[in-house]
Amino acid sequence: MSYEKELMDKVQKGEILPDKLDIPILKYLWDASPLGFGAKENIRSFFKKISILNSFSDNEIRLFTKFLHRREFIADEVIFRQGDSGYGFYFIYDGSVNIYANHLNNNIEERGDLIIRLDRRQYFGEMGLLEDFNRRSATAIANENTVLLGIFKPDLEKMLEFYPVLGAKFLRETALIMANRMGQLTREVMSLKKKIKELESRV
Amino acid sequence: MHRNLKIKLFLFFFLLFATILFAILFPRLTLPFGFSYIVYLMSKPLTSLLMTGSKKQRFFFSTLLILGVSLSLLPLFAAFYNIDTDFSEFSRQLPEVQKNLQDKYFVFKVYIFEKFGYRLNIDPVTFMVKKLEKGGTLLLSQIPNYLSSFFEWMLLVPMFLYFLFFQSGKFGYKLVAAIPNSIFEKTYVLFSQFNTKFGEYIIAKFIEATILGTSVTIGLWAIGFPYPFVLGFIAGLTNILPYIGPVLGFIPALLIALLTHDPKTSMLAMCLIYLIANLIDMILVFPLLVSKVVDLNPIIVVVSVIVGGQVGGVVGMIVIIPFIAFFKLLFQEIYKDLSVQL
Repeated sequence: MSYEKELMDKVQKGEILPDKLDIPILKYLWDASPLGFGAKENIRSFFKKISILNSFSDNEIRLFTKFLHRREFIADEVIFRQGDSGYGFYFIYDGSVNIYANHLNNNIEERGDLIIRLDRRQYFGEMGLLEDFNRRSATAIANENTVLLGIFKPDLEKMLEFYPVLGAKFLRETALIMANRMGQLTREVMSLKKKIKELESRV
Repeated sequence: MHRNLKIKLFLFFFLLFATILFAILFPRLTLPFGFSYIVYLMSKPLTSLLMTGSKKQRFFFSTLLILGVSLSLLPLFAAFYNIDTDFSEFSRQLPEVQKNLQDKYFVFKVYIFEKFGYRLNIDPVTFMVKKLEKGGTLLLSQIPNYLSSFFEWMLLVPMFLYFLFFQSGKFGYKLVAAIPNSIFEKTYVLFSQFNTKFGEYIIAKFIEATILGTSVTIGLWAIGFPYPFVLGFIAGLTNILPYIGPVLGFIPALLIALLTHDPKTSMLAMCLIYLIANLIDMILVFPLLVSKVVDLNPIIVVVSVIVGGQVGGVVGMIVIIPFIAFFKLLFQEIYKDLSVQL
């Protein structure tokens, strides 16, 4: 019998309950249990499995989830377009997202090449959170019915104001993502340059 | 766009429009809610101060806050007591003021007759006094209505404040969740920016009005000018209105200086006090506090205040500025988007 059911039975029978009963804390402890009694994955356990939030404690993840917005997208719905003002960073909670680089054809924007397909527990749009006048560099479209968890500029500001340590930690992780992507980009540019040189030497 | 998404978008804008219409049609609810919201926004920096930092810091700030509130209440009580005394004295002196005014008008009439040979047959002083008496009677007859509004506010304001302090987080989250995906990011960010701007503007204006009111009161009290507390209070209150406010706040002092034959009254000293207080406000307080929040052209500010007054009276005059600042932000965003699309 679950603890909550036991309590409900006590209420129905008119028995006295303990003086201080903090159900949210009990629920939190239940969810945070390392033995993983709750088979169903909740948002907190979802974030525990995301590599960039590895350094976050259980309590920090609990606080972090307070600042998130759950957004549901149907298949083929546009999440954001290339060139839009960007303000948020998204985690894929369920479903998958396609990232396209659009191009102009006779002044009409067309959906370009698929750059990458992002799946559950992956993330995108971090530049929107940090840059002042960010323009989305690609178009993101839901590949199937998708649930995203997004954090936006005002949420980050609020987090930095009320939980500065958590905010700084999250910013450090976001900066790490960007540094990794920059490194990746540099490597790609170098490899492209090498290929161009090879082609030039052949010509 | 998918049909369901279109319906969602339509429903959202319909709800938004219905809410605005409800707010306009039921000012008896909107006004106390607006007042509560202003109080809530004003207390935000305090709540943030009390909620962040270590336990020691929180304890320090809480103690400081309690001490500050207790100490500021004492002069506030004294000021209110003096305002009451000033008002009673002013009403007692009204007949004398009327007589002075009539004497001065008589001198003016004689001067016009001697200079131009024209006899003035109108009697504006009696007309003004009659209007004042009529206004007073009307005010007295309206007292039951004001009382009922006051009790209504006494009931509604704490209720709204409770909602804003303890429930608005969850409610706001649900409200934000209803924004359709296609406009979510921009709407959410703009709404947050407006909220921040509005809060900062209200706090900045409140501090500015307090500083100006206090400096005028101290100055007038120091030179022995009559009714320093009332005039300081009026100067502070009218200062909430940009540009027009300082002029409006100066008029009562000017009238008193012109109409009373108080030997202590020095017109020049009084003018200097208002000038210095407003200069401090313009050179120091306004640039440091308000202009950071509202980056608008002075002409736009004056026109907005006039339009705000026409549409929503005094409340309209006060709240129009953050709204205009918000619309400026909105247009900048739209313009930026359009330039990218071009």
